Amino acid sequence: MKDRLAAALKTSRADYTEIRVEHTWSAAVSFRGARLESATAGEDRGGFVRALHDGCGWGIAAFTSLDELPAMVRRATELSRAVRLERPIRLAPVAPVTAEALLDLDGDVRGVPLAEKKRLIEGYNGEMLAVPGVVDTQATYRDEVTEYWFANSEGTSLHELRPEITLSGTAIARRNGTIEKGLESIGLRRGWRGAQGQAAGFGDAARRAAALLDAPSVKGGAYPVVLDNELAGVFIHEAFGHLSEADFVYENPQAREMMTLGRRFGRPVLNVGDNGAAPGLRGTLPYDDEGTPTQDTPLIRDGILVGRLHSRETAATLGERPTGNARAVSFRHAPIVRMTNTYIGNGSGTFADLIRDIKLGVYACSAFGGQTLLENFSFTAAYGHMIRDGAVAELVKDVVLAGSLFQTLDRIERLAGDFRWNQMGGGCGKGGQFPLPVTEGAPHVRIEEALIGGDVPA
Amino acid sequence: MIERAIALVRARAATGDALWRRAERTSVTFESGRLKSCAATEETGVNLRVLVDGRVGVAGTTADDADDLVARAVASAALGETVPIRFPAAALLPDVSTFVAPVAEAPLERLTAIGAELVSRVTREGCQVNVTIEREVAQTRVVNTAGTDAGYRTSTVVVGLDLARFAGDDVLFVSEQYAGAGLPAAADLDALVRSIDDRYTPALRVVTPPDGALPVVFTPSGLSAILLPLEQALSGKTVLQGISPLGAKVGERVFDERFSLFDDPLAPGRPASRPCDDEGTPSRRLPLVERGVVRGFVYDLETAARAQAASTGHGARGTFGKPHVDYSNLILGKRGEGRGRGGLGGGLLDGITDGLLIDDLIGVGQGNVIGGAFSHPVALAYRIERGAITGRVKDAAVAGNVYDLLKKIGGFGDDGRWLSNRWSASLLLEGVSVARR
Repeated sequence: MKDRLAAALKTSRADYTEIRVEHTWSAAVSFRGARLESATAGEDRGGFVRALHDGCGWGIAAFTSLDELPAMVRRATELSRAVRLERPIRLAPVAPVTAEALLDLDGDVRGVPLAEKKRLIEGYNGEMLAVPGVVDTQATYRDEVTEYWFANSEGTSLHELRPEITLSGTAIARRNGTIEKGLESIGLRRGWRGAQGQAAGFGDAARRAAALLDAPSVKGGAYPVVLDNELAGVFIHEAFGHLSEADFVYENPQAREMMTLGRRFGRPVLNVGDNGAAPGLRGTLPYDDEGTPTQDTPLIRDGILVGRLHSRETAATLGERPTGNARAVSFRHAPIVRMTNTYIGNGSGTFADLIRDIKLGVYACSAFGGQTLLENFSFTAAYGHMIRDGAVAELVKDVVLAGSLFQTLDRIERLAGDFRWNQMGGGCGKGGQFPLPVTEGAPHVRIEEALIGGDVPA
Repeated sequence: MIERAIALVRARAATGDALWRRAERTSVTFESGRLKSCAATEETGVNLRVLVDGRVGVAGTTADDADDLVARAVASAALGETVPIRFPAAALLPDVSTFVAPVAEAPLERLTAIGAELVSRVTREGCQVNVTIEREVAQTRVVNTAGTDAGYRTSTVVVGLDLARFAGDDVLFVSEQYAGAGLPAAADLDALVRSIDDRYTPALRVVTPPDGALPVVFTPSGLSAILLPLEQALSGKTVLQGISPLGAKVGERVFDERFSLFDDPLAPGRPASRPCDDEGTPSRRLPLVERGVVRGFVYDLETAARAQAASTGHGARGTFGKPHVDYSNLILGKRGEGRGRGGLGGGLLDGITDGLLIDDLIGVGQGNVIGGAFSHPVALAYRIERGAITGRVKDAAVAGNVYDLLKKIGGFGDDGRWLSNRWSASLLLEGVSVARR
């Protein structure tokens, strides 16, 4: 395949050309209640060519028939020439690299019969069904192995093998008219061995759903709020991470002003970054989809905005360095600026220290979902607890956290020293590309004051 | 490939069906007002379902290997549940226009010219304008072991227009979309530009949100939060699972008499229209709610088999995964009725002393959708005072339960239109909770 890519690149008359080929084997088994919903296996393969002539725009061809590689190169170069630009597209330099990065498949899922995968997820589903009060469940096992080739006209040539496993469960508990749910979600850049021994989380999710039946709704209002590791991670990804993607600002002077490097975004305790090279995480890969090595990129240091995430194009436009964040969800798409493993840096002390002087507050845990529209966000915690007189008190539900990003970041006043990566499934969506594997990490985070359930009118 | 797959299934004395789809997409992207990239995508895939000894199995591929595909589907069936799916025999399919030849023939320059025109017409100081134009030409074939072999061509053009304005830490987003089987006519482009103007200009002034139980006008795009619970509740799958609030209400009046909802796969010139669904069941117009009375639910073959019902022709499938229930074109109210001069709110603002107009909400789909309760911060909303829009509101949230709110409709606007695969006008609902943040 490497030779085919090299040969196809030679036929290109563009100033820059890249080719990506992917071959993915996948399997999925899902249960609904005690019933098997489906057990399927798929095979997906295709390629992507991107070409750039000086003074022209990007020409792109994506295809599922690999026999046509040279024709697709021709197509992409023609499409590039169709776009004339006054300000040409520049790419920040990246040293050419040749690499074989065959990640450990950790028990190659392609060798495991579908029946075994069914047995595994059936067991996890059973953990949820066994919990009293649970009336319905959904449990899904997914795996994937992707063989990946990338080559560009500057001499970079990559060959990678990437495993991925995701496990997810939803438990629905119902009593009379009240319905509550509990979620479990695990996403690992691992193979079959990584999927083993995960039963406990499914049982916990189901017990939480049942417990929420008796929990009161949180009383809306402004409180000191402590986010658990998971919700803090989701928050920093959704509310801040997307703004630090340079394609959001690179062509927009007003947005760039809002995100000026050196602007204070928080108090000195706040440190945020994105680390595509962190070992063993779902958002980790040695190179991005432009062949740039991944790295740890500081975004906020001591409360000050110090960096952003780049592709080669956005880096060149802003006169900064590429950070290895140009990613595509599959061969069907062009690489765009994306996060990898985004984190809030660790603080100090314990969780108990963090809440000791809170007389009345809310401990918001895990996330059912969240959406941001630039400076406004809304997150639904999976559950919460009241904090009373410095201790975690009763379970509460309907914990919705909403507000303005700038205000909320500025009110982050303390961080515990209990940083953790959240290895969740799902993925990030942007520009029609979903689900991109990412990871988030954070310690427990204390916000001086935030509105809880504030958008749920009485 | 698809014939060979089905022949292999027959040879195993099994039954089954398959979908083959080949799509060619061309797209042009304008970023910050300038043409940045052109892309061509070609994709061919097959999704195969088999019934082996009554057990169902599914497999999909974009590789060209029928033997491997059938082997994987059969392996899937070895684990599958027993479902008495009956594949439809060959039938006469209704006539519906899904393919507009000039779309397939339009040169790249035609697409970029549309984009350049839109950019020049909506560009304004301090705003970033992004435009994407995507043209897709696709061929679909559905073949099964019961004799169905149906095929049709579709063309789709989608034009997306986004305007972003940054002023300090205030961000204003206004977007609009055209979708159709044909290229947009001059009138369609005029409507896009007018719609952006209508929403951009009054948004420049930010006003204090109102508070309390108020009349709220939902624009066709703002309606998503109101319709999502109904879309879930009217799916045969939700009914089968016993969690649809409408499951036992067929024949009952549940909504205001003016509320009707249809699914229409035969709407002419719409991208989601088709002569048959992805399982070969002939298309027909289906009443879901008629004058407030629940009429029925949408089914695909498997859900129908489990529910001892008949498929309504709402099976949808991609290359991967199993076929599932989905809508085609959802029509709220009577199509064609009320297509008037348009304008924000479609003439519904007149009698409102104090209220809100909702064009976009944050977090639609989060939370417990099926129960009908919703609670969302606004993304794009305007205050209505004494029959007119006085400005944009930012820190506000709306909440309510659609099953309560739709019992009494304040009125439909005269701005009925297609938005993606849904036709509706603006809708006025009374007593929606509005809260300031």
